[in-house]
Amino acid sequence: MNKLTIGWLYPELMNIYGDRGNIITLSKRAKWRDIIVEVKELNPGFSDQTLKECDLLVMGGAQDKQQSIVNEDLRKHHETLSEMIDAGIPGLYVCGGFQFLGNYYKEADGTIIDGLGIFDLYTENPGHGHERLIGNIAIQPNIDELTNLIVGFENHGGRTYLGEDIDPLGKVLKGHGNNDGNTEGAKYKNSFGTYLHGPILPKNPQFADYLIKLALELEELKEIDDTLEIEARKNVEKKLIL
Amino acid sequence: MVNKISILGGKTFIFLSSKFNLGSGSTWPGHIALKLNPNFIKETLGSSKTKLVIVAGTNGKTTTARLITSIVREANKTYLQNKAGANLVNGLASTLISGATLSGNLNKDYLIFEADENALPRILEQTTPDYIVLLDLFRDQLDRYGEVDTIARKWHSAMQNLNNKTCLILNSDDPQIAYLGTKTQAKVAYFGLEKIQSAGYEQTKTKHGADSTHCPKCNEKLKFLTIFFSHLGIWECPKCKLKRPNPDLSNIPSYPLVGAYNKYNALATTLFGLKENITLKDSQNAFASFTPAFGRQEKLTYKDKNVQIFLSKNPTSFNESLEAIKELKGENLLILLNDRIPDGLDVSWIWDINIEEILDKKINVAVTGDRAYDMGLRLKYAEFFTHVIPDPEQALDEMINKLEDNETLYILPNYSAMLDIRKIITGRKIL
Repeated sequence: MNKLTIGWLYPELMNIYGDRGNIITLSKRAKWRDIIVEVKELNPGFSDQTLKECDLLVMGGAQDKQQSIVNEDLRKHHETLSEMIDAGIPGLYVCGGFQFLGNYYKEADGTIIDGLGIFDLYTENPGHGHERLIGNIAIQPNIDELTNLIVGFENHGGRTYLGEDIDPLGKVLKGHGNNDGNTEGAKYKNSFGTYLHGPILPKNPQFADYLIKLALELEELKEIDDTLEIEARKNVEKKLIL
Repeated sequence: MVNKISILGGKTFIFLSSKFNLGSGSTWPGHIALKLNPNFIKETLGSSKTKLVIVAGTNGKTTTARLITSIVREANKTYLQNKAGANLVNGLASTLISGATLSGNLNKDYLIFEADENALPRILEQTTPDYIVLLDLFRDQLDRYGEVDTIARKWHSAMQNLNNKTCLILNSDDPQIAYLGTKTQAKVAYFGLEKIQSAGYEQTKTKHGADSTHCPKCNEKLKFLTIFFSHLGIWECPKCKLKRPNPDLSNIPSYPLVGAYNKYNALATTLFGLKENITLKDSQNAFASFTPAFGRQEKLTYKDKNVQIFLSKNPTSFNESLEAIKELKGENLLILLNDRIPDGLDVSWIWDINIEEILDKKINVAVTGDRAYDMGLRLKYAEFFTHVIPDPEQALDEMINKLEDNETLYILPNYSAMLDIRKIITGRKIL
């Protein structure tokens, strides 16, 4: 029997905007396929060894104050995380998690916070007078295996600009995405960064299953009834007049 | 003179809009009065003896404001109160217009004002209240209000400008709220729970969704000796030694509503009363005959069956409603989820509720509303068998038809959904 070990980065700190739903979705969808699931909660002070035992990494967003604690702790795991991502260990990095993996984050007051530099991108908060990018969003994913649109809810002040060595996660159909309503998120090896909350996975089960397949190197997963998931996604598409 | 014109014009407007049913006439008069005279609030309140009592917090403000009016009434004092939804600066001005005489006098003992979290700092720029009752801060409509820390920061700087004319009534068990009492010239009194009252709630590890888990002063992770719910508890900082202040009031003989969260509302009210020489006896009498505000544990009947509405608009209020329903041994549940402007457009928060840890899987549950499928998914992944019925009236009817005569249907809606379902149940619109 297969076993999936999910590494949940900073659940005590990076847990805002319902992103725990991604962990619940991955766990349940694996369990419903008779896959044994273990979720390792990686709170500040976790060991590199524990990190290495994970097949799939998930990180959410946080409030600013909490982000600074995470930023400090995450630096200690820079090398290991970077090696794992380069080796193709899949991961989903949402909002703050997505920004951390980039080269830097420039705050509204001009302060620059160094990122981990694993994703070739940077983020800038344009500051007062510029609105946060908030609302329902739909994207056309840039992943062949995903045939459906991905829907979610974005809420971010930072604008992310992709470098040359990285692809977007998808093309924005409705909403803002990384900055100008063109690209959304990032895709590097088997790691994905995105601004989509909602949370992203419950309404986009194809994406959830894709991550499970990557983590366990499986070609197929047993079919499950996704009627409700599809209705929920279509409901958002309808709101966005797609 | 300008103020008198504002009051006369505003009153005329309020009269006409209610007579011709033009909808909420509750904020425009205030808006215009403030345009004509930016000091309208300051001058009108300054020239009267009316004491201004502001109530704010993420959860419980409507119930607490209503509890305060109930004890004020019991003590034979007069009051003026804002209408539902009129909780910004304009709403305060409008409330003054509706309550003032044409000569600009207020002639009431109290003005009890339920304030929006984001509007509180702006209200404090306009006037200096006699009391500010601050209940709690939880994540709520993040797309509209922003994050908890952002609001806490704004409140913190607003409190620093107060003087000892104001008395802050603060929740000692919410770290961010309690911390507001440390850097202000205002008088401070604390309410909180005691360990002994909370049998069944106690834990020492914060559950998922707790917001203020780090020290408001030095950002170290807080230690909780006891948690009542979410991040409310007996807390201390292992690093800077900031700790939960001892509450001035932590127990009263009886409480008007079920649930730990309503204990806080009742304690805050009683403590305010004591500061105003309203006796414990008066408060208790008022609580004994208290009827809840619409949608806040409100009991109604529909097709001869009993229903009770628990407004559940953010993760903490939802979890605490579930705890209360568990306490009441509820077996039938209807959840309504909308995503309209007053609800917040983002429904991600439903993944922060802990339904699988609170309720038994045997419960009979249906979900409805604009986002019925999202809530249906949440429950599917919590492994509850759920009926998803997008049309609210149909969902209500199906649940009611299956209900035994001695059972109650517990309804958990968020804000606009509460107004919708209440209208279906009572046949009347309230807002």
